[in-house]
Amino acid sequence: MTLRTRTMTTAAVVVLVCLPAAVAKARLTSGPVRANALMGLTGIKQNTKGTLSVEHGNLHFASAKASADVKTTAIKDVVTGEDSEIAVGDKVHMISMAAPYGGGRFLSLFRKKIDTLTVEYRDADGGFHGAIFTMPVGAADMIKRELVAEGAHSGTIGPNTAAARSNNYQGKGQTQ
Amino acid sequence: MTRLLSTSTCLVVALLALTSRPLLAREHEPTRIRASAIQVEMIQSDEIKLPAEFRVALYENLVRQLEKQGGFQHVYRDGDRDAKSAPDLVVLYSSVRGFNAGSERARQVTTVFGATSITIHCRFTNADGKLLLERDVKGKVRLFGGNLKATYDFAKKAAHVARQNFSSAT
Repeated sequence: MTLRTRTMTTAAVVVLVCLPAAVAKARLTSGPVRANALMGLTGIKQNTKGTLSVEHGNLHFASAKASADVKTTAIKDVVTGEDSEIAVGDKVHMISMAAPYGGGRFLSLFRKKIDTLTVEYRDADGGFHGAIFTMPVGAADMIKRELVAEGAHSGTIGPNTAAARSNNYQGKGQTQ
Repeated sequence: MTRLLSTSTCLVVALLALTSRPLLAREHEPTRIRASAIQVEMIQSDEIKLPAEFRVALYENLVRQLEKQGGFQHVYRDGDRDAKSAPDLVVLYSSVRGFNAGSERARQVTTVFGATSITIHCRFTNADGKLLLERDVKGKVRLFGGNLKATYDFAKKAAHVARQNFSSAT
């Protein structure tokens, strides 16, 4: 077996392994994501199960009984659990252990791993609201990327969301 | 006869103690500051970096508890423009002073160790910024439950402090 054949075989294996994961990730972004609205979403009771999606410039949460929309332009910050860990940093990493819902390093070892998404927004009167959602791992960053692409602000930008914002900015630049 | 005397003396003492207690309590009751509405500013954590979800959980629970048991006619959120026109407005500023990161696992296993606590300094001012009251309020979760309970505990205690010291009654 030549070196070239071996390299090609390895590449094929890598593609075969990565492709299903990439497809699964893409599926996660295309439709609504199962989420739990823990608190802070106007018109939705605490700890309500439903689906979360970004559509027509709104963050849309729908449960069996009610639904709520938040305009992406009213969103002042979107933070995922991962962002929080980065923001808190290594020096004070112990603080992240105090994160609710097992978001911290130590607690997450023992509890079911979940993603958190915190959305800070202003209502029509300018009043501050903070909504917290939990969802399957990986979904929070996808939603955040979609929100940023639709005009939501985010003070803490992860590598993926930074790319989304950059694309959004370039897109806007082209249309002007 | 001696026994009857001592019993009746005891009864009289007990009756006196029971009737005087509410009077004493009324004397020690702090004078309440008149306030019809409160505006809750966002929780600050400049000294100690807290995860965003924790700050938001503290804030949302605080607003909810003030609405439920704070005794105010209106509870305004941070940045709400309508608050400016509210008479006797009190503004609540909260900043995180310290915390003790516990462990839910330790709580579940031992029910003694692993308590999480967070200390928040609450400053109540009037609309002009004059300080009316300041307190350190501690949120704890001791036995069972996630750290979310500590945020709920803080909110309940802070709302209790507000109810004890402010009154919307004219």
